[in-house]
Amino acid sequence: MASAAIETRQLSKHYGQRPVVRDLSFRVAPGEVYALVGPNGAGKTTVIRLLTGLAFPTAGSVYLLGLDLLKNPAIRRRIGAVVEAPAAFYPYLSGRANLALHARLAGGVSEGRIAEVLRLLELETSAERKVGVYSLGMRQRLGVAAALLTQPEVLILDEPASGMDPLSLHVVHRVLREAASMGTAVLLSTHHLDEVAAYCSRVAILEEGQLIDEVNLLDRRDRYRAQVSDVRRAQLALKTQPFIRHAGTRGDEVVFILEDSAALGRVAGALVAAGVELLGLARDNFDLRAYYRERVSAKRGVAPEEVA
Amino acid sequence: MRALLSIEFGKLLRLSSLRFSLVLLALFPAIWAFAPGVAEIYGFFVISAYQVPALALLTTMEFLLPLLVAIASAELLGLERTFGTISTVLLRPVTRSQFIAAKLIVATVYPFLLLAFMLAVGLISGFPFGYGSFLGGTGLGAGGLPGEGLITPGAALLELLRGYLIAACSLVPISLLALLFTVVWMNAAGGALATLGVLITMQLMVVFPGLERFLLSAQLSAYVQPVADLGWVLALLAVYSAAFAATAVVLFERKDF
Repeated sequence: MASAAIETRQLSKHYGQRPVVRDLSFRVAPGEVYALVGPNGAGKTTVIRLLTGLAFPTAGSVYLLGLDLLKNPAIRRRIGAVVEAPAAFYPYLSGRANLALHARLAGGVSEGRIAEVLRLLELETSAERKVGVYSLGMRQRLGVAAALLTQPEVLILDEPASGMDPLSLHVVHRVLREAASMGTAVLLSTHHLDEVAAYCSRVAILEEGQLIDEVNLLDRRDRYRAQVSDVRRAQLALKTQPFIRHAGTRGDEVVFILEDSAALGRVAGALVAAGVELLGLARDNFDLRAYYRERVSAKRGVAPEEVA
Repeated sequence: MRALLSIEFGKLLRLSSLRFSLVLLALFPAIWAFAPGVAEIYGFFVISAYQVPALALLTTMEFLLPLLVAIASAELLGLERTFGTISTVLLRPVTRSQFIAAKLIVATVYPFLLLAFMLAVGLISGFPFGYGSFLGGTGLGAGGLPGEGLITPGAALLELLRGYLIAACSLVPISLLALLFTVVWMNAAGGALATLGVLITMQLMVVFPGLERFLLSAQLSAYVQPVADLGWVLALLAVYSAAFAATAVVLFERKDF
């Protein structure tokens, strides 16, 4: 990874004698959607607070866009974040007035930006209502709208899906995906593994404040397994194809990852050209939930069924 | 910082404790101006409009005004905690020092605003007694309410302004102390209660005569003290205020949210 938009180095946080985050190091690149998952008390919220400078590390450091956040507070202009669930606003002000207040605190935003983020998060019709009467989902969407106000290069979100109905969730996912596609590094903490599996690039599994695993979901998403007449020859044939990111073998099957799922139709042609007969093809589904349970249970030394 | 300050003053105006305080402080002068039993119970007659604000101050300065000031200042920060908006604001390019400094400025100005309001309401409430010269005193100058002879409207108004200004100054450290305690506990009720606790404890400390002139609670009556002591009083209030404000900034800078 060339330049990291978010980076932690041996980050630790203790409350008194109790360690909450331990020796945590990870990097998130521009354009990535990175998820922190873990059971309650795993330290996800503390990590978010350390990343946003709301809490101070006991040891280690946080770099955002290559700069130490605590030494460069002005960098917050380039960062958007939601750290409360539900997102915190002045309940006696309207959604629009709250965003206007955020814009002032941020040193101003371009004309029409408030209207733009309200439209993006589908909040135009409720913009003049006081936030005190907003539903949880609306508050969360307003939180994401506020985070997007300054067109940040880094987005940090604590439980963005908390309290959201499926429609709100869909809206937020779309907005975050769009932000990432434009180069914004997105880091979110969540309990919703389906949400993670759907659109995150990588996921970090935390347990007792430690990073116990980091999974690249891109490598697992467009992944297929094929039964072929000659596994070795099929692997060699697929490896050389530009639309294949990775090809390996597993027993009597060849397992491959596509650069783009649209290229699936070209696999059969490549195999036939290499003189290999394709006997069967199926998506090699990655079960993040099962994987998560397995990793957390292994760390705890209990059976996977005991992990919620 | 200018944006932050205007936002903070906006928040102050929305505090429920401020609205309640304004109602109470409008009520007190009206009670003195229109209560029928003042002469029977207190043994004097209100004879001038200029005495009404002084009577209102004399009866609220002991407990009510410190209480109202402490509650509002504690609420300034405590409500942010309740709403969760401390984090929201600190995620913007606003330093912690700027955030707490804006609140300290509002907490410093607040007693002056509150007393300006009570003075204005007091003067308006006193209209039945007239605004001319009168034989007696305002209650805030030499001679107290009986006074030292004829007093002109200008002199009476000056006495009131002086008394109200000194009273506001002596409320400033209380306001800042409430904010400091709220920084410590991040809870408005805790901050206000701790402030009152400190004031009541200080009032008991008068049993140590050597300490009295250093006690914050003793300065609450500074507005009726002889002018000779004023320099000392104002210096002491400034030292208390600076110490409370500096401690609040230092603690807030190191707090985890």
